[in-house]
Amino acid sequence: MMPGMGMAQKSSTDVRLPLAFVVSGLVAFLLAQSILLSQTSALASHVFRIPTVWMAAHFLLLGFVIMIVMGAMYQLVPVAFLVKVWSQKFGVIQYAVTVIGIILFSLLLGFAPAQAYVGAVVIVIGILMFLFQMFLTIKTQENKTMITTFVLGALISLFFAIIAGFFLAWNIGFGEILAHQPLFMSHLLFGLAGWFTLLIFGFSYQLIPMFSLSHGFSMKGAKPAFILYVFGLVTLILSFWSGASILKIIGFALLFVGFSAFFVDVRDILKNRMRRKLDKPLSFSVLAVALGYSIHFIAFAFAVFNVTDVAAWSWLVFVFIFCWIIFSILGYLCKIVPFLWWTHKYSDQMGQPNVPTLAQLVPEKIVRVLYIVFLISLAGLLVGAIFSNFIMLLIFQILLLVNSIVYVGVIIRIFRL
Amino acid sequence: MTETYEIPTVSMVSRVRAALHEVIDPELGVNIGDLGLIYAVFVDDDTNDVTVRMTLTTPGCPMSDSIQKGVKFRLSMIEGIGEVTIDLVFDPRWNPGKMSERCKAKLWR
Repeated sequence: MMPGMGMAQKSSTDVRLPLAFVVSGLVAFLLAQSILLSQTSALASHVFRIPTVWMAAHFLLLGFVIMIVMGAMYQLVPVAFLVKVWSQKFGVIQYAVTVIGIILFSLLLGFAPAQAYVGAVVIVIGILMFLFQMFLTIKTQENKTMITTFVLGALISLFFAIIAGFFLAWNIGFGEILAHQPLFMSHLLFGLAGWFTLLIFGFSYQLIPMFSLSHGFSMKGAKPAFILYVFGLVTLILSFWSGASILKIIGFALLFVGFSAFFVDVRDILKNRMRRKLDKPLSFSVLAVALGYSIHFIAFAFAVFNVTDVAAWSWLVFVFIFCWIIFSILGYLCKIVPFLWWTHKYSDQMGQPNVPTLAQLVPEKIVRVLYIVFLISLAGLLVGAIFSNFIMLLIFQILLLVNSIVYVGVIIRIFRL
Repeated sequence: MTETYEIPTVSMVSRVRAALHEVIDPELGVNIGDLGLIYAVFVDDDTNDVTVRMTLTTPGCPMSDSIQKGVKFRLSMIEGIGEVTIDLVFDPRWNPGKMSERCKAKLWR
C-alpha cells in the first residue's frame, strides 16, 4: 500500500454536528443584528459599552462567530489534518453546553449584568470542552504542519480570551478584581485578533489553494506571519498592562507586518491558481483578507498618531469584526454548507446521473448581490458613524439586517436541494 | 461484394478508463480522468477484478470519500467487472501538469 492510502477515508465526520452549530449560528446572527438595530441611537452617539450592546456583541461574536467557527472546525480539522474527531458524542454535549451558555450569558449581560458571571461559567465550560476536544483530535495528526501551528495558536488565544472574559464578568458582578480596562483590552485582543486571525490565516493556507486549485505556491510567509503576529499580540498585552505607549506602537506594527507576510502568500497562492474565475463566496473571503489587512494598517496608524478617541477605536473594532471576521465567515459559509449538505445527501449517489455539483447548490447571482449589499451596508454605517447621523445609521442597519435575512434564507434553501 | 469487419472487443481497461471520465469532481465540475487523478488501471484477466490507482488534488481533499464512492459506483455498472479496489496514493503528488488540455481550458475560462 502506498503512503496516504486510506488516510482520507478515516477523516469523515457526521455532518449533523457541524450543521447544528451552523444553524444555531445563523439564528444568533439575525438576533444580534435585530438587537443592534434597536440600539441605533446609542451607536449614533458612539456608545458601545452598555448592557444591550454587550448582549448584541456576544450574540454576534459567541452566538454567530464562535458557533460557525466551531461547526466549521468539526468539519475542517478532520479533512485538513487527516484525523478523526476525538469524540462525536462529546461534541454533541459540548454543543448543548455552549448553546445554553451563550443564550444565558448574552441575556444576563443585557438584562442582569451583575449576574452575567453565572452564564460565563457555563460558557467557559462549553469552550473548555471544545478546546479539550480539539487538542485531543489534533494530537493524533501524524505530520504537524504550519496550519497546525496556526490552529493551535488560535485555540490558545481563545483560551486566554475566555479566561479574561470570565474575569470581566466577575468584575461586573462583584468588582473584586481590579484592572478592568487592561482585562477588557486583553479580552478583545485575544478574542478578535488572536483567536480569529490566527485561525483564518491557518485555514486560508488550506482553503484558498483548494478552492482556487493552486499549486506550486510559496508558503514562506507562513512562519514569519505566525511568529510576528504572536509577538505582536504579546507586546500589545504588555502595553495594556504597563501603559507603555511605545509597546502599543511596536505591537500594532508587528501585527501589521505579520499580516503582510500572510498577505504576500495569499497573493502568491492566487497567482498560481488554475481556476481563472474564483467563485463569489471565495472572492468575498479573499476580499475580507484585503480588508483585514487594511484595518491592521489603520490600527497601526492610529497607534503611531496616538489616536485616543474612544469612538474612533470602537468603530475600528466594529469594522474589524464585520469586514474581517464576519465577511470571511459569510464567504466561507457558502462553501462549507453546500459541502456539508452535499456530503449528507449526495455522497452515496456520486457517479450517478443528475447529481448536482457544489456550485449548483448556491445561487451565484443572488449571492453576488448579497455580498455587494453587505459592503454597501458597512460603508453606509461607517459614513453614518463618522457624521454621527442617526438616520443614515438606521437606514444601513435595516439594510444590513434585511440582507442578512436573505443571506440566511439562501443558506437554508441549500437544505431543501 | 460486401466487406465484413470484425468488431474489436473493447478491453476492460479501456472501458474502465472511459467510465472514469464520467465521474465528476463535485467541486470543480470536471471529470476525474481529465483532471489527471487516475494514475493507473490494473485488470486481472481471469477475474476482471479492477484496481484503480488514483490520487486527489490535495491529501486533505474533503471530497475524498465521495470521489472514491463515485468511482466504485460507476465502475460497478460495467458489465462483467469483478471487484473494484481503489489504491489511493499521494506519491507522486498531483500537479496541474497532469490535467488534460481540455480540462485546463475549462478551468481557465
